[in-house]
Amino acid sequence: MPRNKIGEALGEMFRTALEHPVTEEYPFGKKVVAERFRGKLEIDPMKCTGCSICEIVCPAGVITMIPVGSKTVGTRQVDVKRPTFELYSCISCGQCVEDCRFGALSLSHDFELAVFKKESLRMGKSNGS
Amino acid sequence: MQYSPENVMPFGPIHPSLKEPEYFKLILDSGKIKEVIPRIGYVHRGIERAAQDRTWVKNIYLFERICGICSFAHSLGYTQGVEILTHFEVPRRAKYLRTIVAELERIHSHFLWLGLVGHWAGFDTLFMWVWKDREHILDLEEAITGNRIHKSYVAIGGVRKDLPDGLRETLLKELVFIEKRARYYSELVQSEETLSIRTKGVGGLTQDTARRLCPVGPLLRSTGIARDIRVEDPYAAYDELIPQVQSSTDGDIACLMTIRLNEVLDSCRVIRDAVDKLPSGPVRNPVPRVVPSGESCQHVEAPRGELFYFVRSEGKSGPARVKLRTPTLANIMTAIEMLKGRPIADVPIVLTGMDPCFGCMDRVSVVDLNKSAQWSLTGEQLRQYGIEYYRRHE
Amino acid sequence: MNLYQVVELLLFPGLTFFVWLAFIFEWLERKTAARMQGRVGPVVTGPSGIFQPVADFFKLASKEEIVPEYSDRFVLRWGPALFFAAPAIAVSFIPVIGLQSTLFDPLDLLFMVFLLSFSTLMAGMLGYASAGRFSTIGVGRLVVQYTSYEVPLLLAMIAPAVLAGSLSIEGIVAAQSGVWYIALAPIAFCVFIIATLAELEKPPFDIPSAKTEIVGGWMTEFSGNTLAYVKLTKSLSYVFLSALAVSLFLGGPQGPILFANGVAQGFMYAVYFLVKLFAVGFIIFAIRTALARVRIDQAARLFWTVLTPLTLAQLAVAIVIR
Repeated sequence: MPRNKIGEALGEMFRTALEHPVTEEYPFGKKVVAERFRGKLEIDPMKCTGCSICEIVCPAGVITMIPVGSKTVGTRQVDVKRPTFELYSCISCGQCVEDCRFGALSLSHDFELAVFKKESLRMGKSNGS
Repeated sequence: MQYSPENVMPFGPIHPSLKEPEYFKLILDSGKIKEVIPRIGYVHRGIERAAQDRTWVKNIYLFERICGICSFAHSLGYTQGVEILTHFEVPRRAKYLRTIVAELERIHSHFLWLGLVGHWAGFDTLFMWVWKDREHILDLEEAITGNRIHKSYVAIGGVRKDLPDGLRETLLKELVFIEKRARYYSELVQSEETLSIRTKGVGGLTQDTARRLCPVGPLLRSTGIARDIRVEDPYAAYDELIPQVQSSTDGDIACLMTIRLNEVLDSCRVIRDAVDKLPSGPVRNPVPRVVPSGESCQHVEAPRGELFYFVRSEGKSGPARVKLRTPTLANIMTAIEMLKGRPIADVPIVLTGMDPCFGCMDRVSVVDLNKSAQWSLTGEQLRQYGIEYYRRHE
Repeated sequence: MNLYQVVELLLFPGLTFFVWLAFIFEWLERKTAARMQGRVGPVVTGPSGIFQPVADFFKLASKEEIVPEYSDRFVLRWGPALFFAAPAIAVSFIPVIGLQSTLFDPLDLLFMVFLLSFSTLMAGMLGYASAGRFSTIGVGRLVVQYTSYEVPLLLAMIAPAVLAGSLSIEGIVAAQSGVWYIALAPIAFCVFIIATLAELEKPPFDIPSAKTEIVGGWMTEFSGNTLAYVKLTKSLSYVFLSALAVSLFLGGPQGPILFANGVAQGFMYAVYFLVKLFAVGFIIFAIRTALARVRIDQAARLFWTVLTPLTLAQLAVAIVIR
């Protein structure tokens, strides 16, 4: 049993003092995140077909499908829908990205999502536009 | 029992030394604690009730957000429960990957705990150093799973992603670093005089008390009863990568520190083993869409102890009932027993010793009213009940 | 008391100078503690964050003051002023720009002792007046800690007085022109530093205002102006006790002087004084960062059973040397 001494941490303290501090320079410098980091949701509108799967699987209820037109399928008129996202509620889980068969959704590396007005974080079509 | 108001010291619900709010009424007797009356439920969020409204997949994200520190253990427990109901076999590679991330989480949780013990003993330097090293683990987890805390890595049927390329070398290098630091901290906490006089002999737990009050996790292992769910009832890949159960017989906080640091070293060994023996194959198998009716009970060794999950399905799109019992709920009465007779200065240290996670703990969902036999209350009813209760008492 | 003396008292090297030193000491403490822990400390306000303590002071002074209902408002109103006055007067007795201090008395070491006990008394009264559970416990701990460290502190202060044969700080400084007393009474210096840690409530002795145990101890219920001045007073007594250590053990502002007299000579004295002051401060920062907090009974046991006999022994040695 080693004898106790006071100030055991002193050696490590002086060694740490001479090293570079580990604090990152953010926000005065850029923060580098990992390759797989799940940040802000993004959509490639050309690939979206309006199948509504993302709306069904989203755990946070972020996605709402809005009818933007209609098309004829066989003998019926069907609504064509496009998603609209309320990104302030998004938890970036990636479930919609995984389940979209057309690869229209992706998660970027953007994490600075604080805004002054909530409306800035709405993405996609909105009613009436 | 009667006690005068001058001898009552409220500890919490908001207190600098509690991570989450809980109320402990400390009844003092000239500077020493005579009795502790806890009042829990401050962070009750109704998660079990919310789980009934959501589908099977959505619930993974709900359950991993019960706690930030043991988030992977929660999602793993739930997913394993569902997999038992679907009689589904997870591919071996996925089991190994789940083990790797679970052990990484154990390391990060124990480092977090060590830093907090330092902070609450007044040793801010230890706190800063340990959390500085913990960043290496969190960066590893971010590289593997995409997020540091709420990993969202496990899926029903396996894991969501494979290990990224080139991670193997980084992982092994970081493990060497973590082992070196864990050994340094083991030495530091044992030999630094001011820290050991705060932690040695504080909170002595005996085997009899442990058998009577049934704590779980490292608290139980510090009395010499060496029980660990990973060894006794293996899940994920623990039947092939057997961890060594760390135990000791002292029962005080200093020995809890030693146990947890030894668990960190052992976790590093298990991860290294897992990376070496990683089998090839798919990481995820498609699961049948409908979960058949049935009930499943299983438990997981979270960093704090035994985490118990009960899942019942009635063949619908979501679970009919999920019940979980977190390790802190099992440990809290033991911690209170450890506090009796100690001076106030030991309260944060003893409470930390059991590694409290009150966010996990408050799972009260059955409310027993004398007059009506309701089994769940709406938000408005709960609020009204609370108002009337406090009007009657105090 | 002519105009020159009043200016000296208030500006340099009197109150304003020492208050600025208090801010710089606080900044230096935060920076060195941060570097030793691998962090950066204050960075934003001013070059390398040097104005951070000033910014904190003004922020606190601009906040609303919330006073508990059952507290003694008279004491809480006038107490902080008296609490601040104690070290504010005491610093004028330290020689900085020469071998003479601004205020002088043949027995001023005893006056320093009185001011130290007065400031602790005011701290206790302030804590007791803000009636709250945590404040009362904090005051209890403060009183226990004070009675424990006072005896070793005073004995450690008497040792250089015995060696110098004088009870005035000027006299002690002047008597160190040959050999500094840290060489003749090293144990007294160590005990003085340890007791200073207890007086200033720095780890390992920050028990009376232990943030993680009793929320804030005797300082719990302060806010706004009161808290700003209490924190400033604690920084000021930090500087004062370090300056006292410099004067009693490190020969005050003495060192090789290149100029005969005049402003340049005073300037050189001040530079030596500051160098020694920061050296003592740095020792205290290092000890403070390296240790955990002890319990009050363990602290009391340490002071009474270990430090007091050591200092008595040192005193005996000092008498023999004399």
